[in-house]
Amino acid sequence: MSLKISNINKSFHDFTIYSDFSLEIPEHTISCILGPSGCGKTTLLNMMSKTIHPDSGHFYGFDEKIISYIFQEPRLLPWKTVRENISFILKDKEPGKIVDKYLQLVELENFADFYPAKLSGGMKQRVAIARAFAYPSDIILMDEPLKTLDFKLKQNLMKSFRKIWQFDKRTVVFVTHDIDEALLLGNDIFVFSKAPVQIIEQFKINGSSTERSLESTEMAELKKQVLKIME
Amino acid sequence: MKKIFQKNRIITTISILILLTIWKIVSIIYHSELILPSPELTFLTTIKLFTTKDFIYIIGSTIFRGIIGFILSFLLGVLLGIFAGINSSFHAFLKPILVTIRSTPVISLILLALIWFKVDMVPVFIAFLTMFPFICTNVIDGIRNVDHDLVEMARIYKISQIKIVKEVYLPAITPFIFSGASSAMGFGWRAIIIGEVLSQPRYGIGTFMQTAQTYLLVNQVIAWTIVAVLISYLFEIIIRKIEQRIVIWK
Repeated sequence: MSLKISNINKSFHDFTIYSDFSLEIPEHTISCILGPSGCGKTTLLNMMSKTIHPDSGHFYGFDEKIISYIFQEPRLLPWKTVRENISFILKDKEPGKIVDKYLQLVELENFADFYPAKLSGGMKQRVAIARAFAYPSDIILMDEPLKTLDFKLKQNLMKSFRKIWQFDKRTVVFVTHDIDEALLLGNDIFVFSKAPVQIIEQFKINGSSTERSLESTEMAELKKQVLKIME
Repeated sequence: MKKIFQKNRIITTISILILLTIWKIVSIIYHSELILPSPELTFLTTIKLFTTKDFIYIIGSTIFRGIIGFILSFLLGVLLGIFAGINSSFHAFLKPILVTIRSTPVISLILLALIWFKVDMVPVFIAFLTMFPFICTNVIDGIRNVDHDLVEMARIYKISQIKIVKEVYLPAITPFIFSGASSAMGFGWRAIIIGEVLSQPRYGIGTFMQTAQTYLLVNQVIAWTIVAVLISYLFEIIIRKIEQRIVIWK
């Protein structure tokens, strides 16, 4: 059973973003949607999370799924500590254990009682990742969560993310315009065109993402190919 | 930072000293206690007021009226402000009411209140009407300033509307509530005392100011004024302290 997006149409005013668009998303893997900025990737995520609705078409398999979301910005409540920010979205009576577990996975257990104002951008985004995984979701949607971070923080955050995902393999839909991120994180990569969106290319990268390196000849070759496609 | 703070403190002191000097000079020129008593005499009068038999009742009554008026306007202001901030139709409904209250001269409200209410109620009613729009408007502004991204996040994580109001909207508007409360109090005390001057309840700063004015006891009028300023200042400090206690996340 997989998640199917079938024949959707979506326009904003006269601007068509999706026209008879279909996509199948495999479960329990990381699907990367790679495409130019402003092509409608966020719109697709927002339709999956039902924040907005398509003009027509169907999303199969999404209704019974619980969704968590990692945004471009951390979106933490400034008046709640790290711990409270995570337990805020949990329905459990005693969320303490779950919160501790995921804070440990993103290596923030010592910052549980800090307010977000006291954390760096990368730490805040790690809290957002912990929050998304702590939520008992089936699907995690990620909208370029690394966009505003510098190179080193990106690497760290990807490491955190891979670690937590190895431990808890949920269906992830990861949207990005950065080839490196897609190659390092994705199992299935979908290359999107400019709006109206079409899938120009679709390929699989086998093997655990923890051992991947952009330096390997295989990866370098793949990157070249993808860059060519995206031109 | 500390240096600037100290420098400003010196400047403030100089400003107060200049004010007192001008007062002293003018009082020497007029040389009449009936027009302007000297600062020292006024100071002594103020100290003497504290030992007056009914002093506690007098300021107690005024403070009590202020607090009652404040609580009423606070509760209603926050409640209606939240509704109006979330629901634009309700805002459209509330807006003309707020504008009317705010632009009506306080004196008109008092004159009408004198006809409608019992003497003791008049200052409370006036306090309520002057404070309510401040708090309500600030809460509406606060709600409109709530980060929509946070609300969207909460919705995606399927947080109930009640929890969103309690844990997203309310904390977000807390600083706005405090700044509203602070300006409301500032105007509120003045309005209460005007109300007391005109309605003459048995106890109240305004009542005694009016009496002093009738007998041309200018030093007492000024002494009561000083007491009123002190009360207003005290409450300003209380509000600020409470705010520091509650808004700890900044």
